[in-house]
This record gives sequence, structure tokens and C-alpha cells, in this order.
Amino acid sequence: MAFRPVKRRRRDGRVVITLPAPVAQLVGRVVAELGDMLIAPQDGAISSRLFPRAYLDPTEEHAEQEFQSLVHDDLVRARLEAVAAMVAELEAARPIGSDRVEIVLDAEGEHRWLTVLNDARLTLGTVLGVTEDEPLDFPDDDPRAAGADMYALLSALQGELVEVALAQLPETGTDDPAPS
Amino acid sequence: MSTSAADTEQITIPDTVEELLGEEDARPDTPWIVIVWNDPVNLMSYVVLVLQKLFGYSRPKATRLMLQVHHEGRAVVANGTREKCEVDVARLHGYGLWATMQRDD
Repeated sequence: MAFRPVKRRRRDGRVVITLPAPVAQLVGRVVAELGDMLIAPQDGAISSRLFPRAYLDPTEEHAEQEFQSLVHDDLVRARLEAVAAMVAELEAARPIGSDRVEIVLDAEGEHRWLTVLNDARLTLGTVLGVTEDEPLDFPDDDPRAAGADMYALLSALQGELVEVALAQLPETGTDDPAPS
Repeated sequence: MSTSAADTEQITIPDTVEELLGEEDARPDTPWIVIVWNDPVNLMSYVVLVLQKLFGYSRPKATRLMLQVHHEGRAVVANGTREKCEVDVARLHGYGLWATMQRDD
């Protein structure tokens, strides 16, 4: 599934993404599955990756409980809202020609797509056992092969979005010395 | 983006001792640090983007921290009071980064 999503930033700041229609459908499906997973998490490894501990120190268990009680539900809600919005955006994508669709994202949408794609990759990557050392490579008849293709697709799409987002950020930051 | 120039130019003198103490209390030298850990999923470019967006770091600094995470397995990306660090950790989790906090000792 080699493809390069066409993306550009318009003058009004919005990002336009053009995808093959089947790819948009596939992404929509996997993102919707992420939503199901968030509602009813099945897997401890995924859950602890999407909702990590703040404190590793076991003597901070009380602080950890308090932290989770403050942030966990909000984080679930924010993720579910982002998933729902992205699924809707994919469903409402405007057809371009016969086989492609176009999605226009404002700043919020851009943020949403970046984080949802990342959450989907975290989930899929955990299931597939992604490592840094070797690329995912399953035989074609392995049921995980389709997952690996999907992971590569999500990674490509996220990489492209990160690229346009970085291009808009300044090189300078608060750590730079003040000009004298 | 950079507000450091304005900050150094406008030093306000507190009117009261309470205000002076309050100001000092607002940024105590509390030794808590926020750590981002390496993971095999997050894209390197995405980590740079998140560090720039969340902390306002320059591209070179965000890149340096990302590379430290990548090569050494972890990097201290922020510090401050326990409360500030909890906020930072929560925001990093919101972006899907693997972040924890601990006392700096």
C-alpha cells in the first residue's frame, strides 16, 4: 500500500490532505476501532501505553492515584471526542475526481489528526510488538501482516502531517538568549 | 514566541513584603523533573514537534532532547514544582508521549 498523501497548507493556514478514497475508508475504520478500544480496553499493555503512570516510584502511590483520578477520565473523553470528530471528517471527505477525497483541517483538526493517528499507532504498535531494532515483517499469510501494512500507512500519514506542522513552527524558542 | 526579552526589560519592584515573598514562593527551587522515555512507536519528528509546542523550545533544543531520548533512552524535558510537573506530564500523555516525573536527586 505505497502511497504518498498529497498535503499542502493553504494561505488561510488550513491543511488540505488528499487521499485515495479506499485509504480514507481504511483509516476511518481503524480510528473507529481505536474508539471502541478506548471505551472497553481489553489489553493491559495498550492501556498502560495510552495512559502511563506519572510516578514510577512506588512510594508515590498516593500521588499517582490522585494524578490518575484528576486526568484519566478527561484524557479518555478528549480521545473519544477526537476519534469521533476524525471519523466524521473522513466520512464527510469531499470526493476529488473518481478515486480520491480531500479533507481540509483547521488548527484544531490538525492537532486532532496528529494525536489520533499517534494513539492509533501506539495501539497497533503495541499489539504488533513493534521494536526499534527491526522493521515489522510478517509472512503474507500471517494475520498480523495486514496490521503491519496499516501501521505503515498510519505512520506515513502522520509523518506527512508532522512535516507540515513543523514547517509552520518557528526555529527559535524560549531557550534562546534574549537579543541584546 | 520568545518572551524572554520582554521579561528581562520589565522588572517590577514588589510593593509589599507579602508580594515579594509570594513571588518567590511562586517559583521555588523545588527539585522535580519530567522525563520522557524512549519508545519504538513515536516518530522522532513528532517528538520534536510536541516538545516545541508544549514547552516553546527552539527547534535545536527540541531536537537535542529528542535525540537524547532516542540514544540514551530518556531525557529530562522540564522541571519545577510537583504541581507544574504533573501538568506537564498530563499534557505529554495527552500527546501520547511516555512521560514520568520524579524528585531530582
